[in-house]
Amino acid sequence: MAKEMIAMILAGGQGSRLYALTQKLAKPAVPFGGKYRIIDFPLSNCVNSDIDTVGILTQYQPLVLNEYIGNGQPWDLDRLHGGVHVLPPYQQASGSDWYKGTANAIYQNISFIDRYDPKYVIILSGDQICKQDYSDFLRFHKEKNAEFSVAVMEVPWSEASRFGLMVTDEDDRINAFQEKPKEPKSNLASMGIYIFNWDILKKYLTEDEADPNSENDFGKNVIPNLLKDGRRMYAYHFSGYWKDVGTISSLWQANMEVLDPKHSGINLFDENWKIYSRNTGRPCQQIGSDATIVNSMISEGCKVNGTVNNSILFPGAVVEKGATVEAAVVMGGTVIKAGASVKHCIVAENVTIEEGATVGAMPEGGLNIAEPGDVATVGSGVVIGKGATVGPKAMVSSDVKDGEEQW
Amino acid sequence: MVNNNVNALGVIFANTYDNLVPELVAERSMGSIPFGGRYRLIDFTLSSMANAGIDNVSVIVRKNYHSLMDHLGAGREWDLTRKRGGLNIVPPFAERSVKLYSGRVDALDSILNWLEAQKERYVILSDSYIAMNFDFGKLVDAHVKSGADVTMVYNRAPIPEGARSDNYTIRMDEEGRVTEILSNDYRMGEQNLAMNIYIIERESLIHLIHDASVRGLVYFERDILARNLKLLNVQAFKFDGYVARVSDMKSYFDENMRLLKDGSMEALFGPAPIYTKIRDDNPTRYLEGSSVKNSLLADGCVIEGTVENCVLFRGCKVKKGAVVKNCVLMQDTVVEPNCNVEYVVTDKNVHITEDKKLAGTDTFPVFVAKNHSV
Repeated sequence: MAKEMIAMILAGGQGSRLYALTQKLAKPAVPFGGKYRIIDFPLSNCVNSDIDTVGILTQYQPLVLNEYIGNGQPWDLDRLHGGVHVLPPYQQASGSDWYKGTANAIYQNISFIDRYDPKYVIILSGDQICKQDYSDFLRFHKEKNAEFSVAVMEVPWSEASRFGLMVTDEDDRINAFQEKPKEPKSNLASMGIYIFNWDILKKYLTEDEADPNSENDFGKNVIPNLLKDGRRMYAYHFSGYWKDVGTISSLWQANMEVLDPKHSGINLFDENWKIYSRNTGRPCQQIGSDATIVNSMISEGCKVNGTVNNSILFPGAVVEKGATVEAAVVMGGTVIKAGASVKHCIVAENVTIEEGATVGAMPEGGLNIAEPGDVATVGSGVVIGKGATVGPKAMVSSDVKDGEEQW
Repeated sequence: MVNNNVNALGVIFANTYDNLVPELVAERSMGSIPFGGRYRLIDFTLSSMANAGIDNVSVIVRKNYHSLMDHLGAGREWDLTRKRGGLNIVPPFAERSVKLYSGRVDALDSILNWLEAQKERYVILSDSYIAMNFDFGKLVDAHVKSGADVTMVYNRAPIPEGARSDNYTIRMDEEGRVTEILSNDYRMGEQNLAMNIYIIERESLIHLIHDASVRGLVYFERDILARNLKLLNVQAFKFDGYVARVSDMKSYFDENMRLLKDGSMEALFGPAPIYTKIRDDNPTRYLEGSSVKNSLLADGCVIEGTVENCVLFRGCKVKKGAVVKNCVLMQDTVVEPNCNVEYVVTDKNVHITEDKKLAGTDTFPVFVAKNHSV
C-alpha cells in the first residue's frame, strides 16, 4: 500500500546550548508548555494533518525520547501499516556510521521510506515549537508542481542575516539560496521544513552520499545541488507561530508566550488542533487555602499552597506555603519548599528547592518577555540547599549545599 | 510460571445501587459516575485490579451503559488491552431472558460459559460504587492463607443514610469467620459494613451459581452466603484504606468535598496509580483576576473568577466576576460572568448564564442535570 506522504523528523539534536536541561535527554524530549515535550508539536501536527507514518531520527541520548514515544499511541500513531518508528543509526554489513549530517540521516533510512512507497516525503525538525497544517503545505507543493518546497517565514530585514534565506520570484519559485549572508537579498527564512518528491530526494541523497567532500547536510549540500540543476523549487509562506527553542532564553520566552496566546500567537488551547502528549496519569491539581495564583498555567498532580505568578507548573510540581514562584518554568516533580523564592528561571524535572532558598531574580526593569535578559537554570534532579542562592545568570547542574551561593 | 500476577480474574458489576442516585444515572451507570475531578467510579476498582496484575476483567453492565463503554473503550488506559484476557464488557443477554438481571446471581449466570472457559484459579467480584485504592494482592493472599471458601471485604463505617435499606453488615468470630450477615442494617455508629467485594475459587463459584439458578435464587449475599454460613467458610477481610461510598446525592457531594480535606488525596491516590480515560486537555489556566482557594481542579479549566472549596472536572470555565463556592462542577461546565453559585452539583456540559444566583445548602446541594442551561 503506497502512502501519499510520510514524515521524517530530525531529532538528533543535542541541544548543547540548553546544557543543564539536555544532559540526560535529547533536545526534542525537553519539556515545554506545562505538559508537553517539544517533539509533541511535529508529531501532533502530523496526525492533525492526516500523516500516519512518521520516522524519528535519533542518536543523542535517545533513552528518554524512545521511552516517551513508545508505540506512538498517545498521538494515535500506533498503526498496522505505518505509525511512528524511532530510527537510530544502525550497524550495516559494510560497517556502521553515526548520522553524519541531516541528509545522511535520511540517506541511511532509504529502505524505511521505500517500504511505504510514498510520493512525497516531508522533512521536519524535532526541536521547534510550531503549529502547522502540513496538508496545506502539500497542497501548495502539488499546485506548483514542485519537486522541492520549503516552508519560509518572513523575518525582519535587520535579522535576516542570521538565517538561511530563500530568494524567490513573484511566483514563489526559488532562484537563489543564501546561508546566513552578510548582505541578505531576501527576508524569507527557511524553517527547515521541506517537502520533496521522493524520487528526486532519493536521487540527490544517493549522489550526495557519493560525494566525499559533502557535509551531508540539507542546507549546505542538498538544496544548493537542487538549485544548481534548476529543479522546480518553491517557497511556501507560513505565518503562524514558529520558534526554534535552541537557547535557555528562547525556551523560557516561548513558555511565557504560551501564557499570553492573544499577543504571542501560540495558542495551545485550540480544540481543532490539539497537541497530544503522553499522559502522566496523576490526580487533579490541589490548590490550598493559602495559594495565590495569577496568570499562570498549572497541570495535573500539582500541589500549590504558595504564590504563583506568571509561571508554568508541569505535572506533579509542588509549591509549599510561603514559597514564591514568579516568571518561572517549573518542570514535573519539582518541589519548592516553604519560603523559597524562584524567579525568572527554568527549573528542570525532579529538583528540590529547600526552605528559604533563592533561585534567580526578576530583572531590574521588571518582566519583559521580548527581551528576557538573564534566565537562571537548574538541571534535573538537583537539590538546592536551605537558604542557598542561585544567581540570575547561573546554570546549575549539580547540588548546591545549604547556605551556599552560585552565580 | 513467573509470579508477577495474582492468579485471579475480576468481575465488576457496573450497575449496582443505580437506584440510589437516580439523578446521576439518568444517562449512565453507577460505574461511570464522574468522581474526584477527573475519574469515573469504576476507575478505582479497575485500576486496583490492574495494579494487582489482574489482566482478565469482565464488566457486567445492565442498562444505560453507553457512557461506560465510551469511557472504557478497549481498556487501554488500564493496560487491559490484552491478547489473552483483557477487558471484556458484558451487556445483558437478550435472547436468553427478556428481563434484565435482577441480582448478582442472575448476572453471573449469564457469564457462566465464559467463567467455565477461563484458567485463573480465583474470581474477585466487586461493585463499582466505591472510590478506593485497594490492594487486591493482599486479599488474594489472605484468602489463600485462611483456606476459606469465600472471603468478603468490609470496612468500619457508619451506614450511609441513603443505603439504609440496601446494605449488608457482618458479624464474625475471633478467627475472622463470618457468623452472620445482616441485610438492611440501620443501627447507628460504625458497623462492619460490607464493601461488596468477594473472592472465591472459580470452580466453586460456577458450582454455586449453577445450583442457585436452578433453585431460582437471585441474591448472592442474601440467598447464597447468608443462608449457608455453617456450610461455607466465609472469612471477613477488613480494609483500612480510604473509602468513599456513593449512596445518594448528598453522599456524592460530601465525598467529593471530603477530598479537599488534608490527607484525603494522599490516602486515595497515594498507594498506587488510578487510571482513567485520557482527554488530552491543556494545563489549567489561571487568568488575571482569578482567585482559587482550597480546591481540586482537573486539566483544561480556565479560571477568571473566584473558586473556593470546589471540585472542578476537566474543561470547566469560571468567567470574570463569577463566584463559585462549595460546588462540584462536572466536565465542561461553564459559569458565565458575575454568577454566584454555592452548594451546587452540575452534571456535564451545564451552562450557567450571566448574573445568575444559584444556591443550595450543605445538607441539600442543588443538582443541575446534564446539558442543561440555567
